[in-house]
Amino acid sequence: MKIGRKRKSKAEIPTSSMSDIAFLLIIFFMATTKFDVKEGIKIVLPQAAEGGSEQAQTLTLTEKEMTRLQITEDGRIAVNNEAPRAYESGELDALIQQKVKINQQMIFKVITDREATYDSMIRVVDRLKAAKIEKISLSTN
Amino acid sequence: MAKFKKERNRDVSIPNGSMSDIAFLLLLFFMVSTVFVQEKKFWVERDRWPIAESIERIPRNHTTTIYVMRDETILIDDIPTRIESSEDVFVSSTLIRKKADDPELVVCFRTDRDTKYGVMSDVMRQLQDAQTLVVAFETQQRQN
Repeated sequence: MKIGRKRKSKAEIPTSSMSDIAFLLIIFFMATTKFDVKEGIKIVLPQAAEGGSEQAQTLTLTEKEMTRLQITEDGRIAVNNEAPRAYESGELDALIQQKVKINQQMIFKVITDREATYDSMIRVVDRLKAAKIEKISLSTN
Repeated sequence: MAKFKKERNRDVSIPNGSMSDIAFLLLLFFMVSTVFVQEKKFWVERDRWPIAESIERIPRNHTTTIYVMRDETILIDDIPTRIESSEDVFVSSTLIRKKADDPELVVCFRTDRDTKYGVMSDVMRQLQDAQTLVVAFETQQRQN
């Protein structure tokens, strides 16, 4: 009687489904990845006066050089010495353009009431930035 | 007479042996670039940010974020603080340290749109004290 030799079977790890697993993981990471991009309004604050009021310079600017936009507690805006009133975005744009026509280098000082909302300040600064105004000063009363 | 050999039909196949290598490379990219944002106790949701039109992109590599909540709580480096008086200088002291590490530091504000401006003014005063003068107010893009 013939005794058959036992064939040695090759030990292999099946790798055909490897790419399926990898692609599944890719899809998971693609779906969960959220690139946190920062977007916003950039402003450069003025230097703090060193040594208190001794070295602080006081400049007196006329209405031709500086426009004061005073934001009240309820979000209304007072331009220079005018009475405060509510401004639509379009009206604000027109006002800024009018002031820039008078002086290309016009400085806009945004004075926001401490009780006014942050949103009302951003609304004004946004319109100034949209009009490509670079000289913006932020302060409060 | 010469014999014409029959052309054998060749099997057309795209080599897919390196498919898993490509897949793993992509996988590694996503694994390395993914950062899971941990939910903070204090947080200003994106839909609470103000809406603006003229916004610009701010490179992330030199930024630090200050959260200002509606109840005037300020969060810097995951530490909540408040500015009640001129002696509360936690914000400026933190920023002086950060400014020393990165002179090109940009401070990004994530502020609730209904926050009172007074607290923002106080924080900005401390930024000036720390000589951290470049700030960005993070906003949502206005949808036209």
